[in-house]
Amino acid sequence: MTGPLPLISLALAAMGMLMVAVLVARRVVLAIGERRRRRLEDALQPVALDIIDGEIDPTVSYSRRESRALALIVARYSRQLAGEARANVAEFFEGRGYVDREIRNLRARRAWRRASAAFTLGDMASPRAVRPLLDALDDSRRDVRSAAARSLGLLGASEAVPRLIDCLVTRAIPTGVGGFALLTLGTDARGELRGLVGHEDAAVRSTAAELLGYVGTPADASLLITLLRDLSGEVRSAAAGALGRVGAESAAVALRATLEDRLPYVRAATAEALGAIDDIDATKLLVRQAESDLFEPARAAARALATIDPDEAIAQGQIPGAGPHLLNAAALAELGR
Amino acid sequence: MDQDGKTVLVADDDDDVLALVVRRLERDGYTVLTARDGAEALSVAQQHVPDLAVLDVMMPQLTGYEVTEHLRKDPATERIPVILLTARVQEADVSRGFAAGADDYIKKPFSPQELRSRVQAVLGRR
Repeated sequence: MTGPLPLISLALAAMGMLMVAVLVARRVVLAIGERRRRRLEDALQPVALDIIDGEIDPTVSYSRRESRALALIVARYSRQLAGEARANVAEFFEGRGYVDREIRNLRARRAWRRASAAFTLGDMASPRAVRPLLDALDDSRRDVRSAAARSLGLLGASEAVPRLIDCLVTRAIPTGVGGFALLTLGTDARGELRGLVGHEDAAVRSTAAELLGYVGTPADASLLITLLRDLSGEVRSAAAGALGRVGAESAAVALRATLEDRLPYVRAATAEALGAIDDIDATKLLVRQAESDLFEPARAAARALATIDPDEAIAQGQIPGAGPHLLNAAALAELGR
Repeated sequence: MDQDGKTVLVADDDDDVLALVVRRLERDGYTVLTARDGAEALSVAQQHVPDLAVLDVMMPQLTGYEVTEHLRKDPATERIPVILLTARVQEADVSRGFAAGADDYIKKPFSPQELRSRVQAVLGRR
């Protein structure tokens, strides 16, 4: 064979080998870097734990690399901590000037820097970051707003609840992020959420009711029961779901009445709630709904029936001509045995 | 603080949580055994019969609830007090923990000071 083909083949083979060598070298460098990082982290872990316990030694200084690694470990630990330990974390980050630096970065020109600062401030546990983070919820970039929302949740900033709900309703932040922030606030958010169930905007009432289901208690039942008569179906559905989640047995009568709601998704949420509170007196109503309602509410009723009264569910499934949902309820009850 | 060599088993699949809990308990004078999943926790508990088990609820292999149930069924381990460490603090989750046989629960994120008090209280009750 003559011509340029052998040369081209040779060149391609050489390029291929060079590429493999580069990839191998890159992998080796990364592995060495990772090993070094782990060694440094192991060495600094006791120092980080001392910081969590409030035993900061101001005389010890660290190299830039060590300081960065230490900050990362303490920030990671801080996500798992509450109470006095979080205050120690805040003292560490405030004392070393990290908090002020990240607050300044919230006004950086580059969006990634603002987002990174908003995220990091949540782990630094400093209450001083709350106000700047609330302002960051108005940032033009969604990732910055999301990071700020997450951090406000971690900081336990209950004053942020109305703004977080507003951001959720207007989709300024993703539902998952907003929900996580409010759930992280937990019982601290409860008071604010109770206030928001009376809001003029149905979307706000609905979101508040839904979240109250996660952070509320059976003591919130009476408030949620009033929402079962709300003009908005979304609100009634959210209230029914919340009553089930908080285990509000006192809501049984009101929930049974809501099985007559004109909207199928409200009836479905109500049946699920009755199942969650194990309301044995709802059995007959659930059988009827499983027999004759539309798909979603009938399926929800069948599931609730199987939870509340497995014997009745099995008996209903054995009746000749039993519908698909009652057969499903019977099968679920058998499985649960 | 000397705890007369009392042994505590701590099980969590999160290394950070494990490090923080172990640190608190060791500082308080307990001897600490660790496990990173439910099956390992059960095995360590059966082998060493600790004075207390602090178990994460959501662990690989076996959940904290399941480990507690297994401990309660075995005469050798049935009396080991259990504290569940859980991010799930809804009424139903807490009830499930107590139904499984847990003695107490601690919500995550947790306060090391609260952990210390709960551990002392549970060990004091037995």
